Amino acid sequence: MAKRALSMNLNGQVVGPFTVDDDLMMIEFLHEYLNLTGSRLGCGQGICHACVAILDKPDGTSEEIRTCITGAHFFDGKKVRTIEGHAKRDAKGEVSELNPIQQKFIDQFAFQCSYCTPGYVNAATVLVEKLQRQPVKRSELEGEIENALGNHICRCTGYVRYYNAAREVVEGLGLVKEG
Amino acid sequence: MRGLFLAALLLPLAAQAAEQSSDKTLIERGKYLARAADCVACHSIEGGAEYAGGLPLVSPFGTIYGTNITPDKEHGIGHYSAEEFYRAVTQGERRDGGKLYPAMPYTSYHLLKREDSDAIYAYLMSLDPIAKPSPKTDLAFPFNVRFGMTFWNMLYKNRVQLEPADGKGEEWQRGQYLVEVLGHCGECHTPRNALGALQQDLRMSGGVILGYEAPSLLAKDLAERGWTTDDLATFLKHGISDQGSVFNEMYPVLHHSTQYLPLDDHRAMATYLLGEQPPAPRSIKAVAESELGESAARGRQDYLNLCAGCHEAAGKGVPHVAVAMDGNTTLRLADSRNLLRVIDDGIREQQFTGFERMQPMPGFRDKLDDGQMRDLLNYLRQTWGGLETEVTPERVAELRGEAPSH
Repeated sequence: MAKRALSMNLNGQVVGPFTVDDDLMMIEFLHEYLNLTGSRLGCGQGICHACVAILDKPDGTSEEIRTCITGAHFFDGKKVRTIEGHAKRDAKGEVSELNPIQQKFIDQFAFQCSYCTPGYVNAATVLVEKLQRQPVKRSELEGEIENALGNHICRCTGYVRYYNAAREVVEGLGLVKEG
Repeated sequence: MRGLFLAALLLPLAAQAAEQSSDKTLIERGKYLARAADCVACHSIEGGAEYAGGLPLVSPFGTIYGTNITPDKEHGIGHYSAEEFYRAVTQGERRDGGKLYPAMPYTSYHLLKREDSDAIYAYLMSLDPIAKPSPKTDLAFPFNVRFGMTFWNMLYKNRVQLEPADGKGEEWQRGQYLVEVLGHCGECHTPRNALGALQQDLRMSGGVILGYEAPSLLAKDLAERGWTTDDLATFLKHGISDQGSVFNEMYPVLHHSTQYLPLDDHRAMATYLLGEQPPAPRSIKAVAESELGESAARGRQDYLNLCAGCHEAAGKGVPHVAVAMDGNTTLRLADSRNLLRVIDDGIREQQFTGFERMQPMPGFRDKLDDGQMRDLLNYLRQTWGGLETEVTPERVAELRGEAPSH
């Protein structure tokens, strides 16, 4: 298999250029080249969404991308965030503060085995960022949460707690309009 | 004496039982024929009662709705006699004399056998009546004037004529009736003229419906795209074969109709379409990376980035997940319409017969600009489609510029 150069902005840092197989999937790149193993390989078929990372687009919007079925070179020159990029870190690189979604998931005991959690955190982050750009009417909130999290599979069936946590974060940040 | 008395008593009962059994046989035959004719696809909506109507059929002239054909006397066909039903189905005339629009394929059904119409009628009349009104058609002037159909019918009503069956075997003849009449395949797979009539001289050479191409079913074109009689029969039965899977408008055809037919029917339809001596299917050797044109070579990386995760880098596909690109009939169509549309729109989760499923394919409209789309199309078509011509930027822009039809 041919190789080609790959670099990207990952969690705020430029990484690369690496010389990488042109058919390498993004999750393998994260695991094998960057030692970022927080993105989980679940189904490997784009179904379970455990592997999603966040793509930051030039227009200021963000979207979740399944890294198990998306080639690493798709991200060449782009801005990407993974689960490792959410928490604040101190000068030593140690986690000093979780982001509101991570914290709420813990407060709500939203996960059990945690395998799907990085995907849920990323999906909920994309949701929050979307609502920060355009708050949602209360009557549409449940639909927004369903659209954002509904494709994610949790085999411990923690759905209700994930949804509750996401709802509390959105409401806590004042992103819901009455109506 | 006592025996004679008993026999006299039992004879009417036996006759009654025979009549009931005959009714049951007729209804069962009607059910089979209604499935072969795919009546339910147009006369039902998703989640609604079968045959209670309501499905919008979007045409260039406006929207026509499938009607309620349950035995309900107010909204359905409860007042129709078998004769009136036959006239509606084969001549496009309602019981009250009004003209049906040819969205109801009477142009094909005009060759329906009377006994088959009667059996379908018996089956429909055996269903529970559903008191659901049919939505009103919504056509632009002058197509909303039903009387205009009189002239249309004079020109086009009986235009579909079957190829003579001289010297053809029983299987071919049965296939012809299933394909041309009951299955009315030509209604989608034939181009239409400006008045919406099938172009008889181009029959089965392919048509465009709701933005997608219903490909040519001519034997030479099927063989060019890799079809064999066995594969075509498998495709009709299971919705999936080495050449790919049904999608778009063909999916409900499988779902409501062809999957229920006996294997002999699939074989007969395939025999009719490909002929008793089918042309050899064209085999294609995948083109090596080094032989790709410039655009296709760029498209290769787009394929690896966005498609290979499911369809596999060498195009072999993943069983029960995503079909193979290698051997896929859609990549071999001369026009890139369907390939582009599928990549842009995606395909909903597909359920086939037995345990076979295909997971949903997302649409990539927002991931590929026009240049990337062109490169990807060229890569797919050159590598696995056996097509040497390149898709032009104008064609990509034209196809993408067409408003979504559904």
